[in-house]
Amino acid sequence: MRKSFTFIMMFSVLIIGVLAGCSGDSEEAGSNNGEEMNNENMEPEDFEGTLDIWTFFGGVEGMAESFEEKYPNVDVNVEVFPGDQYQTKLMTAIQSRTDVPDIFDLERSYMGKFINQEFVANLSDMGADELVEGQVEYVKELGTGENGDVRAISDHSSPGAFWYHRDLAKEYLGTDDPQEISEMVSSWDKIIELGQKVYEESDGEVNLLSHYGDVFNTEKQHQEQWVQDGKLVVDPAWKDIFNNMKQIRENNVDAKLGYFSGGWGDALNEGGVIMFAMPAWGGFMIDNEDGKAEGKYGIAKTPSGYYEGGTYRSIYEGSDNKQLAYEFVRYISSEEWQNKNLEETGNMPALTSVYEENLDSYTHEFFGEQKILEQYYDLVQDVPAHEAGENNNDISTLFYDAASSAIDGGQSYEQAIEKFKKSVANGYPEIEIE
Amino acid sequence: MFAGKIDKSRYGYLFIAPFFLVFFIFDLGPILYSFYLSFTDWSGFDTPSFVGLANYERLLQDTLFFKSIYNTLVIWILSIIPQLTIALTLALILHEKFIRGKHLFHAIFYFPNMVTPVTMGVLFALIFDWQNGSANKIIMALGIVDDPVNWFNSPFLAQLIVASILMWQWFGFNMLVFLAGLQSIPEDLYEAAEIDGANKFQTAIKITLPLLRPVLIFTMITSVIGGMQIFDQPLMIGKGPENSTLTMVMHLYEAAFVRYEYGYGAAIAYGIFVLIAVATAFSMWMTKIREKKEGVS
Repeated sequence: MRKSFTFIMMFSVLIIGVLAGCSGDSEEAGSNNGEEMNNENMEPEDFEGTLDIWTFFGGVEGMAESFEEKYPNVDVNVEVFPGDQYQTKLMTAIQSRTDVPDIFDLERSYMGKFINQEFVANLSDMGADELVEGQVEYVKELGTGENGDVRAISDHSSPGAFWYHRDLAKEYLGTDDPQEISEMVSSWDKIIELGQKVYEESDGEVNLLSHYGDVFNTEKQHQEQWVQDGKLVVDPAWKDIFNNMKQIRENNVDAKLGYFSGGWGDALNEGGVIMFAMPAWGGFMIDNEDGKAEGKYGIAKTPSGYYEGGTYRSIYEGSDNKQLAYEFVRYISSEEWQNKNLEETGNMPALTSVYEENLDSYTHEFFGEQKILEQYYDLVQDVPAHEAGENNNDISTLFYDAASSAIDGGQSYEQAIEKFKKSVANGYPEIEIE
Repeated sequence: MFAGKIDKSRYGYLFIAPFFLVFFIFDLGPILYSFYLSFTDWSGFDTPSFVGLANYERLLQDTLFFKSIYNTLVIWILSIIPQLTIALTLALILHEKFIRGKHLFHAIFYFPNMVTPVTMGVLFALIFDWQNGSANKIIMALGIVDDPVNWFNSPFLAQLIVASILMWQWFGFNMLVFLAGLQSIPEDLYEAAEIDGANKFQTAIKITLPLLRPVLIFTMITSVIGGMQIFDQPLMIGKGPENSTLTMVMHLYEAAFVRYEYGYGAAIAYGIFVLIAVATAFSMWMTKIREKKEGVS
């Protein structure tokens, strides 16, 4: 029994390795290498065949249905592999060059490792530059490879904002107006002051925030990249983040409920905490049985714009179905799909034009009459555009781990940085650390 | 007819072939292949390139690896002592004739072993949650503490919680092993002791325990091997404060399947292999020495 995990690990290493050996020279299989696709001149009926897509995100099935509706002669097979085994599964298939899907999804956290590999088709060569032209800057940049070519495309942006309980806001902040509340929480100093007030007025029953992790989540994209020229660079701005986190904890601004933990979910649905830094796709955490969440929340701007997660789509270089695969990517990059997606699932679009089109009209049942795109659009444009990077995300997580352990243990920023450098040195010995 | 001859018919090999085929493909193959991988820098994308002993050099300088060995040992010791004590005590009690419904208790104590370790990890993480865990709710309701205890903020408490998961999961299994051992002890020894006027405690110490030795040794060795490989339960709990619940196999998992450094992951696996081999050899040697001293064969 206890042996089995080690065994499974060793075994899967073997399988990946053996299959890697079989890769051979089947890479030439792809057609249309480096040619522009000219899909613009074709009608949906002209496309025929079967398209294989692998993903970790169940929503792709709806996307495929919508595509099949428009392209009657195309069959889309979507295989969903939930959980973190997806990445291993995908790597195994790619290594063996067998049964690789035409299109595979990549999650923001690890896409940086994939998109510059040779098995990822260069979408710029197929004409994708114009597809991403009108996209939100950060979304576009993440899908761009080292040499500036488009290697992965997303159909959405995933900005975050504060979701607040309207009833609690009225009671403790005196208003539930999104503009006024955005103004009240426009800086961390204001938030800390306001949070203290809320805690005192409610006799410790209500906290303004759920967890100091919200500071990290909303600010982590605004610093310099961790690794530059092979050296670890610690942006001084991290110190402010640390201090804000620490002050939030010390002044009882947060309810100490870890992000996406059980208690956090309860507070999100039942109260006890006024606001939560949430990505736009977080709606599935809301219990809306019998419409009880209708108009329950409002959206206020976080001090800085941020995003969380993101699903990107790449085409396999060895696919012999590239033209059709490209058409799929072209479809999900279109205003048509992104409007539909916004309407049906509430996922924020990647195209700025879709934001602008719906700015004055789009509402979502959780937020009553609030035109929530106004807040999201401002925030999403505030997100700095960075390349996906190989380890930047992972290293940020190491910083957070070190910072939170220092705060929980009552230690200083210097001690946190010392821990952080140690864990970087352990995990990434190739990075030079001063 | 067959005197002095062993039938060396080739068909015999056919009968043992299935085991060896499975063994070569699924056991020996991965073992040798990961040994090869431990000399490469393979990340899963390109073909592995040979880097000599670099991964092993890194392993020897990896402070986190040594920390994970320490954590594993602490967690193992914290779990094995109460685990075997409880198992043995329960086995001795349940072996008594006057206990009613023995089989029901056998089943009940064995239940935790049937729950998957991952479920158990999640369960304990929820019970010992800082703000919402039932453990805190109970001790606060009883007035033992005023503020909730942040269990997973203390390295020792975190290790203790992981150890208690293991203890809870395995005491029932070990109890059954002990019971089987107890049942193999001949009745007449106890009867003789009774006639000589020995009380229950004396029979337990002088008869039961010495005759249970082979079973105890078996349990010790399997739990050394199992204890070194603790993985699922702490994975669900997390690395803990100061990486205090990061075990050796978790460290391997992080390298190979989180950072996708298969080469280094394989080197860690071999590091763990050497440690387990040494620990097993040591515990076998220990039992042999004691056997010699006591003159038991």
